[in-house]
Amino acid sequence: MTTIYADNNATTAVAPEVVEAMMPYLTGVYFNPSSMYEPAKKAAAAIRQARGKVAGLLGVADPGQVVFTSCATEANSAAILGTLKANPKRRHVITTGVEHPSVYELCKDLARDGLDVTFLPVDTQGRLSLRDFVRALRPDTAVVSIMHANNETGAIFPIEQLARLTKETDPAIVFHTDATQSAGKLPLDLDRTLRHVDLLSFSGHKLHAPKGVGALFIRKGTRCRPFLLGGHQENGRRAGRENGPYIAGFGRACELAQEHLGEEDTRVRAMRDRLEKELVSRIPHMQVNGGGAQRLPNTTNVSCHYIEGEGILFELDSQGICASSGSACTSGSLEPSHVLQALRVPFTAVHGSVRFSLSCYNTDEEVDRIIAVFPEIVRNLRKVSPYWDSENDCPRPDAPKGLQPA
Amino acid sequence: MGWEYSDKTKQLFMDAVHGKPGTHLGEVKDPDGLGEHGSIVCGDAMRFTFRVEKHETDPLQDRIVEAKYLTFGCTSAIASSEALCAIIEEGKYTPIEALKITNGDIVKYLDGLPTQKIHCSVMGAEALQAAVWNWAQKRGVDLDRLGVAISHEKEDEGRIVCKCFNVTEPYLRRKIKELELKTIPEVTAAIKAGGACMTCHHAPGGLQDILDEEWGRREPGEPARAEAAVESTGGPKLSPYQFAKKVEKVVDEYVRPMLQRDGGDVEIVDIKDNLVYCQLVGACHGCVGAQMTLKLMIEKTLKEQVDERIRVIAL
Repeated sequence: MTTIYADNNATTAVAPEVVEAMMPYLTGVYFNPSSMYEPAKKAAAAIRQARGKVAGLLGVADPGQVVFTSCATEANSAAILGTLKANPKRRHVITTGVEHPSVYELCKDLARDGLDVTFLPVDTQGRLSLRDFVRALRPDTAVVSIMHANNETGAIFPIEQLARLTKETDPAIVFHTDATQSAGKLPLDLDRTLRHVDLLSFSGHKLHAPKGVGALFIRKGTRCRPFLLGGHQENGRRAGRENGPYIAGFGRACELAQEHLGEEDTRVRAMRDRLEKELVSRIPHMQVNGGGAQRLPNTTNVSCHYIEGEGILFELDSQGICASSGSACTSGSLEPSHVLQALRVPFTAVHGSVRFSLSCYNTDEEVDRIIAVFPEIVRNLRKVSPYWDSENDCPRPDAPKGLQPA
Repeated sequence: MGWEYSDKTKQLFMDAVHGKPGTHLGEVKDPDGLGEHGSIVCGDAMRFTFRVEKHETDPLQDRIVEAKYLTFGCTSAIASSEALCAIIEEGKYTPIEALKITNGDIVKYLDGLPTQKIHCSVMGAEALQAAVWNWAQKRGVDLDRLGVAISHEKEDEGRIVCKCFNVTEPYLRRKIKELELKTIPEVTAAIKAGGACMTCHHAPGGLQDILDEEWGRREPGEPARAEAAVESTGGPKLSPYQFAKKVEKVVDEYVRPMLQRDGGDVEIVDIKDNLVYCQLVGACHGCVGAQMTLKLMIEKTLKEQVDERIRVIAL
């Protein structure tokens, strides 16, 4: 049985071209890129070229604004903590209730430390209100950290507008966005449309580079202290010896991602739309979470009422299909996804959520296969559910309806 | 990073280091101009000397015919020194003309330098200035009267804060106080520090830290907000409530009727100090042209009717 990988928002397969780009630096070119001798220059050149390619994906003419990190979580921490350290008198942070844990948990911890944190709510489709946002801006706001696209629902936030409103209100407020899910899926243009964004983080492993490498874009002149102190690597903005092979692979992956952007918007989007439409038409009492928002072209998050997601995943897995329920990063906790709770997805549905996230490596045949097996899985699980009347294929009359999370 | 030098830079360095004939390494005996810049503490130091063909009556017509250097420093520092001497000799400049040579010319001659190495070219230009000042002293030329301003003072030794322009901490602190420099752009404009790679701006112990230590930590954007505090021009100061009411009233009377004629409307979402946040609704919503019009028209009206410091932000 071949594996159908439909969990690309969790991580992605490493592209063969990326492996090829990394190999020389895992074998012969082991030198310290800071060293003066000739062989070390190859190591330095690899990093320089990769920086240029990352800048290319971000639409940035000056690659010097790209700092390599170990992952997006590090980049997010560096962005938020570095900004607060540089602006210690400002004690207010604005973020949303649906951020990735690397921002959400960090901000909750900042609140515990005595900072004032505004967690902006979203509506039932996962959309932010610009009105709420504007009203949240304060004279003591240090940093705004709002993700570009949501990892669970794929909902896209209007970063362009949010960043502009922030800077028009007070240029000293630093605007950070976690673009981990959008990089490689949506066009990014930090020199033009996103010119008000000061800091942007993302990681390699969501766009077919290996795990263990990420980047933080720091716009020239942004008040942000380095998070890791030590050597002068990355222009003093991130100490620690550069991960040469991974950076080389990351650069290549960004180059490929840029080439595939058009395909994401066309072929991948068409596959996702077809998958979603077919599942909705075949499965009663299934809802698309965040379906009313502008979304990433590759993501669909569906909830099947009255059944549990883990069982669905287990069944899918037995058919060789990889998907996730809620954020893969939060699996292991018994709490339902904070994102779906923020969308006020009812308890009857939140536990039955399944996310399929595609990539340009998926095929129509794979989508056909998911469409063929998923409704059967749901039907089978509902047979076990105490709330489902399988004879009439509908909820039992006494099943709880539309319960809202507390 | 291992530095990526141009072939020209590497060649000039190699020629000098290997004592190839025709380089400018060395010292002019009994020089007509002598200038030094940098120090061993900073990692770069240059001793620059030149000889002029003296004009019989007018020292201003002296021409530099020989220029030499001794440089302690890296590849690019030595190549920059070589470049400076070559440029001067090729141009057969008078000392005053030579002052027009900038570090940019040196960088150009070298077919570029890595950003973090720009300071090497600056050192050449600074040493040249010092040498010209020395020449002027010896030849009785009053540079001030000619309107030639050059800095000949030795920089205070100490930890280098701005590596691009070799600016030390004691020098920075002194200049910040002397010239009352309060912000990074002011520092850069006055003494170049922080003007190239900008790494030192917010690094620990960097420009912002030194400014904060000298003047006390200041909230970024604080003065702007303070100035922006709403106060009616002329009349008594309005409370935030009165101010908001007045904005609403003016929008109701002057702006809404115009928009409503086109089937649109405007909503005031929030008011913070002098910032008025508006959102177009109805027929105007989503129209880019209308967005611009809204901002310009409402802002103009509110500036005239309420307070000239008002800024309109369109959602």
